Amino acid sequence: MPLIRALIFLAALIGSPAYADRAALSSALCAGSVVEQVTALRALAEAGAAGGADEATWALAVVDAVEARSLRCTPTGAFIGEGPDALDAATLAPAPAPVDAVAMPINNRLRAAAASAAAALTLFSDADPTARAKAAAALERRREALSLPILDAALAQETDAAVLAVLQPLRARMMLADPDPDNRIRAIEAIAAEATLRNRTLIEEALTDEPEPSVQAAGAAAIAQIDRQVAIGQGLSTLYSGLSYASVLLLAALGLAIIFGLMGVINLAQGEFIMIGAYAAWFVQNAIRAVMPGLIDWYLIVALPVSFLAAALVGVVMEALVLRRLYDRPLMTLLATWAVSLLLINLVRVTIGTQNLEFHQPFYVVGGIPVVGDFIVTLNRLFAIAIAALAFVGVVLVLRFTTFGLNMRAVAQNRAMAGAAGIDARRTDRMAIALGSGLAGLAGVALAPLYNVNPNMGTGFIVDSFMVVVLGGVGSLAGAVLASFGIGQINVIMEPLYGAVAAKVVVLLLVIAFIQRRPEGLFAPKGRR
Amino acid sequence: MMGGGMLFRIVAFALAVLTLALPILGGPLAGSGIGISPYLANIIGQIATFALLAIALDLIWGFAGVLSLGHGLFFALGGYLIAMHMLKDGYVNAGVVPDLMTFMGWTDLPGYWAFFESFPYAAALILILPGLLAFAYGWMSFRSRVSGVYFAIITQALTYVAMLLMFRNDTGFGGNNGMTGFVSLLGLQMGAPQTAVWLATASTAATLVAFLLCGRLVRSPYGRMLIAVRDDEARLRFLGYDPVWPKLAAWTLSGVIAAIAGALYVPQVGIINPRLLSPEVSIEIAVWVALGGRGTLSGAVIGAVVISALKFWLTGFAPDLWPFILSLLVLLVVVGLPNGLTDLRLPFWRRARDDR
Repeated sequence: MPLIRALIFLAALIGSPAYADRAALSSALCAGSVVEQVTALRALAEAGAAGGADEATWALAVVDAVEARSLRCTPTGAFIGEGPDALDAATLAPAPAPVDAVAMPINNRLRAAAASAAAALTLFSDADPTARAKAAAALERRREALSLPILDAALAQETDAAVLAVLQPLRARMMLADPDPDNRIRAIEAIAAEATLRNRTLIEEALTDEPEPSVQAAGAAAIAQIDRQVAIGQGLSTLYSGLSYASVLLLAALGLAIIFGLMGVINLAQGEFIMIGAYAAWFVQNAIRAVMPGLIDWYLIVALPVSFLAAALVGVVMEALVLRRLYDRPLMTLLATWAVSLLLINLVRVTIGTQNLEFHQPFYVVGGIPVVGDFIVTLNRLFAIAIAALAFVGVVLVLRFTTFGLNMRAVAQNRAMAGAAGIDARRTDRMAIALGSGLAGLAGVALAPLYNVNPNMGTGFIVDSFMVVVLGGVGSLAGAVLASFGIGQINVIMEPLYGAVAAKVVVLLLVIAFIQRRPEGLFAPKGRR
Repeated sequence: MMGGGMLFRIVAFALAVLTLALPILGGPLAGSGIGISPYLANIIGQIATFALLAIALDLIWGFAGVLSLGHGLFFALGGYLIAMHMLKDGYVNAGVVPDLMTFMGWTDLPGYWAFFESFPYAAALILILPGLLAFAYGWMSFRSRVSGVYFAIITQALTYVAMLLMFRNDTGFGGNNGMTGFVSLLGLQMGAPQTAVWLATASTAATLVAFLLCGRLVRSPYGRMLIAVRDDEARLRFLGYDPVWPKLAAWTLSGVIAAIAGALYVPQVGIINPRLLSPEVSIEIAVWVALGGRGTLSGAVIGAVVISALKFWLTGFAPDLWPFILSLLVLLVVVGLPNGLTDLRLPFWRRARDDR
């Protein structure tokens, strides 16, 4: 063996420097022990990292050959492939392999090291950023052939943010095992910059057999910092999910409050109007998929007016057939609207089925923006919040600046006087029902990307939205907003602590206690009762 | 008043005849041509408890004008209490370990199950707990003049929350499986044919007593006060009366009657679970009363009997059809017959209605 090495060395001296290196590097793979072979693979990866794209491409070809079990060893050098079609491993030029060439033996450990080396080399040889990102992810799992020089070279030449986002923490993790304590401290600080529970465990594990007190102190500080950020993140994400729940509640409750404020009718079918809105969105999705598959991503936007109109239509039909006859008997409207909700649930159940509908998730409701700790501003919730905010602004504008809004306020304050002033109160009622039902339809669209859509989905919302109406007072938009945010937040804050039931119990008790003092709600219109 | 109402007498007479005939038809005459099977007796008994429940709701809705969409809460409370008695009795006296203990891996029942093996204790609780609950909630609401739709919606929310609470398995009330596997009640073996007949008889008897009692009550000066509360509470207040106490008394009584109905119902179906607390059940009670006609007690009984008999019959062969029929029936009654079947102007009904 020493003789062969000497010969190779000699050959390297004679040939051109690059090829000579390549010959040495590839022949080293034919060394006897697995340890030596792994070292050879790492050397190949390092050479590729240091030598630029060309060198990396060559090294990758050799490593691939190792992985594919096509590397053949001879005393004079390595070949890729067998017999006359073989290539010289050092030059990749066609060179018939000698008959005495033996296949390089490969085991699991070597295969892992080869995969690792291939991933590392891809970072330098592949122009496609997604391929590099994939390689970086593979490298994160398989670090057999990875070394600091490789990572530093990769970080120095990498331009893609996604790949950098994998490589930078990877480097910090490698530094955790660095012999120099200062480097370890720097690594801990770099890891703690991203406050996730995973990084916390990472630091904890590194500290278990850490002899240096200064590193221990830095680690403890880093863990405390992560804990703080995680706590802030958890608090924020609780508030955030409360906000998104509140916006759906607000949409449902706004509609309820408008109808109740105007006509004294409580619409027990409001939850089912949410369901109709969600089903309309589903139909829009299917229609777009059938007619213009290219625009499928925009179906949620198209669904906004469609769902509004679908729910509004059902509301108007309900008004025309049933509610119109019940205006002087508000308690009976409870039974009537309940019957409508039962009818709607069962109609949908029979015609479409009870299963949860499947919704395509367009890019603008997928994923989220990480903010702090584990808190991610998820886009599907942001979508719901945006719809609620837009709808609320729309309702305010309609009430303040349109004739219809003026008529509605007039009828709500004094129906007879409004009639005497020439306002068609019945027509106003109809339009208010359409508006109130349509808002529930919008809630259905908001829920489609983040909730199970099935015939029973509305029943869970009805109690909470009534609590909003009771607490917020009737005919007061500010009250509805405040109450839905209060109830939404109480729900999500209580849930992780004491369970969903406790949250509902607390909300209910609060509401009951509250109406002791103010039976007409938070922002009751002033006047005699 | 409807005191002399022909319909009232007919309903009272029918209930009395049923109460007397059931033990004979289901006992010595069972199996003969005119006898009734235990199955039929059981159905009659269940329907009688529904009628009792409807009377409870009519007392408060038809006469005091207070709609409750949460009477299922009192009904279920009575049912849970009697179920606890039967399970504890089976555990202590027959050594049958309740399913909920096996399920939760408990070696003993929680502390609040103490004394439940005693029937008088359970019976007292069936009267006291629903009464207290109704009183506390009614006192808070009526005192601050919460009424109408607000009151109705909050009763529904209360029932909904109770349902969520009962669906939890760790509360010691059986969770979503509820309670079942009852052994005996007052020495009557569950599942025996005679038990069904006796329970049905007890149910019709209780319904008859409640019917007569409430009929008496609404004809008394107190009943006039209730009707005055319903018709114009503000005027009553201006005249110097305090409407809180009449309302509160009727509300509490109504809750207790509903609980008794539940306590009679659960031994007959042999199971109780939180689904009895779902909003649908409570609204269905209001539908019975609305269909039969509010404020006539007899209407409540007839509404409960007609709708629940229809439901028993229909769910047998077309369970999917029932929600459609129920919802259309409600819409029809609510829109077309504001006073329920009373509006049909049948010979017997007319008198009753004119009396009111």
